[in-house]
Amino acid sequence: MADVLFPVSLDQALDLLAKTEAPAVLAGGTDLLVQVRQGKKTPGIFVSLDRIEGAQEILETETEIIIRAGAPLARIMAHPAIRDHGSVLAQALAVLGSPQIRNMGTLGGNIMTASPAGDSLPPLYALDARVQLAGPEGFRRMPVRDFIQGPGKTALAPGEILWQANFTKPAPGTCHWFEKVGQRTALSISMVSLAALFRPDPDGRVSKVSLAWGSVGPTIVESPETETFLLNKPLTREVLAGAGDLARQAVRPISDIRATADFRRQVAGNLLMRLETPAKGKRLTRY
Amino acid sequence: MNTFLKTGPHGTAHPETAPPQIGLSQPRPDAAAKIRGTEKFTIDLPGKDDLWAGVKRAGIPHARLISIDTEKARALPGVAAVLTHQDIQGSNRQGVVRQDQPVLVDDRIRHCGDALALVVARDKTALGKALSLITFEAEVLPGIFSIEEALAEGAPVLHPDHETGNILLAGALTQGQGLDAFKACAWEVTISLTVPVQEHVCLETECGRAIFKDNRLFITASTQTPFRDRNETAQALGLSQDRVQVTAPFLGGGFGGKDGITVQTLLGLAALACPGKHVAMVWDREESFIASPKRHRANLSYRLGLLADGSFHALEARADFDTGPYDHLGGVVLALGLEHAGGPYAIPHTHIEGRAVYTNNPVGGAFRGFGVPQVTAAMEQVVDLAAKRVNLSPMEIRLKNCLTRGQKAPAGNTLARSTGIRECLAAVAAHPLWQGAGAWLKKAPAHTLRGCGLACAMHGMGFGPVVPDVAHAKLELTAQGRFRVYCGVSDMGQGNAATFLHIAGDLLCQPIDNIDLILPDTDQTLPCGSSSASRTTFTFAHALTRAAATLKERIVRRAADSLMVDDPEEFTLVPGELRHLTSGRAFPLAVMAGFMNPDERMAVSRYRAPTARDHVTDNKALKMHGVPHAIFSYTVHFARVEIDTLTGGIRVDRYLAATDCGRLINPALVEQQMHGAIAQGLGYALFEDFLTEGGQTLTRDLSTYIIPGALDLPPMELISVATREQDGPFGMKGVGEVGIDAPLACVANAVADACGKRPGTWPLTRVRMLALLKEKP
Ligand SMILES: Cc1cc2nc3c(=O)[nH]c(=O)nc-3n(C[C@H](O)[C@H](O)[C@H](O)COP(=O)(O)OP(=O)(O)OC[C@H]3O[C@@H](n4cnc5c(N)ncnc54)[C@H](O)[C@@H]3O)c2cc1C
Repeated sequence: MADVLFPVSLDQALDLLAKTEAPAVLAGGTDLLVQVRQGKKTPGIFVSLDRIEGAQEILETETEIIIRAGAPLARIMAHPAIRDHGSVLAQALAVLGSPQIRNMGTLGGNIMTASPAGDSLPPLYALDARVQLAGPEGFRRMPVRDFIQGPGKTALAPGEILWQANFTKPAPGTCHWFEKVGQRTALSISMVSLAALFRPDPDGRVSKVSLAWGSVGPTIVESPETETFLLNKPLTREVLAGAGDLARQAVRPISDIRATADFRRQVAGNLLMRLETPAKGKRLTRY
Repeated sequence: MNTFLKTGPHGTAHPETAPPQIGLSQPRPDAAAKIRGTEKFTIDLPGKDDLWAGVKRAGIPHARLISIDTEKARALPGVAAVLTHQDIQGSNRQGVVRQDQPVLVDDRIRHCGDALALVVARDKTALGKALSLITFEAEVLPGIFSIEEALAEGAPVLHPDHETGNILLAGALTQGQGLDAFKACAWEVTISLTVPVQEHVCLETECGRAIFKDNRLFITASTQTPFRDRNETAQALGLSQDRVQVTAPFLGGGFGGKDGITVQTLLGLAALACPGKHVAMVWDREESFIASPKRHRANLSYRLGLLADGSFHALEARADFDTGPYDHLGGVVLALGLEHAGGPYAIPHTHIEGRAVYTNNPVGGAFRGFGVPQVTAAMEQVVDLAAKRVNLSPMEIRLKNCLTRGQKAPAGNTLARSTGIRECLAAVAAHPLWQGAGAWLKKAPAHTLRGCGLACAMHGMGFGPVVPDVAHAKLELTAQGRFRVYCGVSDMGQGNAATFLHIAGDLLCQPIDNIDLILPDTDQTLPCGSSSASRTTFTFAHALTRAAATLKERIVRRAADSLMVDDPEEFTLVPGELRHLTSGRAFPLAVMAGFMNPDERMAVSRYRAPTARDHVTDNKALKMHGVPHAIFSYTVHFARVEIDTLTGGIRVDRYLAATDCGRLINPALVEQQMHGAIAQGLGYALFEDFLTEGGQTLTRDLSTYIIPGALDLPPMELISVATREQDGPFGMKGVGEVGIDAPLACVANAVADACGKRPGTWPLTRVRMLALLKEKP
């Protein structure tokens, strides 16, 4: 096993990345060490984010939430600002892996893994999140949906570190919904997931809808057609069934050992049915 | 007498310093070490690991081996030995019934997990490198990957020396008029289904260590069968039995997966090649998945005929099992499946037929339930279909047809002993969960379907009429005045060792702290048969009870003789002492031990479990493979399930099981067995699907082979219908397996209740459930 270096500042970390042979950034290690065990990655040296000042912070400004890449998932999901303004993300992280994985795993690691099944990604897309990358030449910013380029592929250049993700606080009154369909309740990799943000007006019609699906394409799938279809409509069963049909056309699922493409397509549409405006006094329940 | 088992902490009623009492829950003495992680399992035992052994596996399912090139591996620094079949002196064959499995392939590769070569190296890095340097030449043969292919005309034959070709074993049991009786039936219902391969997923994978010194081979292994291993290893490697010693520390799970050879012969071979060196072997999860035996896939096809009044009249049952490339225990699994195919019902006319067939899939072998979960899956569904047809409730039809004591079981054997199935049904019928089912069904939330299911099962105990179901106990009063139980049967985690201490403590009136345990060791302990077949506690407990009586009497008589007291009844054992009741004087056991010579302080006893004498078949092979049994445990399961119509998810909401496993020695352990069995059974029903394609494993690790987690399991309520088995020690019967026989059937019936449909392929994953909902009725 290779050595692990513990830089204490971002600059030092960038410097080490530039100067070492075949380095790998080590955050929680919950993806990386699995790949090392499988022989899929053979880093020459690990550069840990663990002791870098500020790398684990979660910050709130008037308009924004900022999550540093090294923040552990368990802390993000329990953070009051995330609960208040990014509930869709908190809901997703609450069903990511297990307590052990959430204590070790980080948001940066989840984004970098760029898996279509990565549970933080649909919420980050729905929240229109942006990422900030640190490199020898300074910082670059881009929307998360541009950063993720394919399964396991990102726009991160060699020598760069993913520093943070940030999103604008959704307007008050926005509903947050996340659901993951996996092979079991906990410790389960998504077969299909849906993150949804929408704002019902007093008359029940929705303004501002964003939807993002996981595990139904090479990257997270968004569907402007479905969103447009739902705008200014009440979320009744009939309306949602219509949206489901559009969603099924938008997704590009494959069959693998976990699920058939057919299952994924059907469920991607079905999950919208959960957004039905609940009867008075009832809360949305989840499976 | 119904005892309600309660979940929650046990043993609070009973201080650990007092002697345990039969029938009262007692914390397992091994619990603390297991929870703290301080238990010494096979691979944790002290001993210097000089060398590591590992296996080069075939990776192809069927081929004729031409040559193996080990030269590069041998030349690698750090490699102590590279061995092939040419290095084996003995028969190079292992197996319990048919010795058809090579230790190292000498001729034909029959599945991807077959072992081709063995490497012994200084460390794991060198080992891995060396294994990757071994190459081999083979002529690839067409493979057989399903039961149908194995039976097809002109199919390649896996074992040319086997008389019946790809059929390892076939058998039929016919009672009454057999199939002719269908003519008299007013109704007929049928079902066909396939149940999957299930992997044991023991927490502790297969592992062991060995050393060859002083001209003897010493093996420590995670095994359910230390005595059988000794014989098999000796034969395969060409040693006499007395030159092999096998010890079995506590196992981190077995479930049948360690009922037979895993690492033992390989380790023996490695140790022989490197005399004087400790050699260790551990399979990682991936290797365990590929190389270890699994629960057999089975194809089931049933027809049940009823008279107009709803009584069962005729049964036709067909069950075919995929045993993979080797017998392992496939024939015995088939036999037990056939014997139990008709469930706990009185059916006068039956024709039950089945085959275990060879394929190039992973090895099928022993797994908790041993053929019975498979057949129960079909029988209990056909019973529900029948109920619907004759307009009886699932409870009514079962109460009407279930076996009562004195009747013949569907295989033709007479149930002369405790038979509590009717009482189990009655206990479920009286339970609030059953009574409240109707109300619960009506309150299904949006996008959900609710259903309730019922299933019965019976499970025979022991090895059947031919193979001796024997245990020998040895009990010692040590020079220090402690007792020592020499237990020759493995504790794979089920807690039988704790029960032996419990029994010894009760009989000798000693707290468990005063009793030591010697785990299986072929040199020190006596043969006890395997830890399997729901017979482990039954058989050993009898032997132990006799040994305890002998030893107690010897101590008492010795005291009476020494003190010139006429009546030995004046003495009694109390914790740490022998008390003279008339005078009130007490003699520390250490003092008593001092009076006695070592032989006198040791008691030995043998017990053989009762066998069935019924002549139910002329088929000698079936009889040899264990048909029929004499003593059965019974269980009735009830489940409430909720199907999410949007995602196909099935949530088992509540679970109830009423079980007749005789009287309870330690209710806490019975509860643990039932909880575990139901959990594993629900895994079999809903999650666990060991997939292969062309003999290659697709579910290669725990990220794709899905076992249920705590959040997937329902609250379970357990009822004990404690009949008293007249031949059982303290009235008990086996409980290790019966709980896993019914969950799949129970879920199947609940799902059918919810949606009116029954899948042909199990487990019922979300993907299958959603597709089933879409199917036209
Ligand atoms: C048992 C188990 C269950 C899991 N369950 C889930 C689940 O339910 N849902 C899910 O989405 N994922 C799951 N995962 C995957 C994993 O836990 C998550 O993706 C986690 O967020 C990864 O974070 P990490 O900090 O451990 O990443 P690491 O393993 O440390 O890193 C992952 C990759 O990203 C790179 N990297 C990490 N941080 C940075 C950075 N700041 N800048 C540049 N590169 C970086 C690393 O070099 C590496 O290539 C599971 C993993 C395991 C082992």
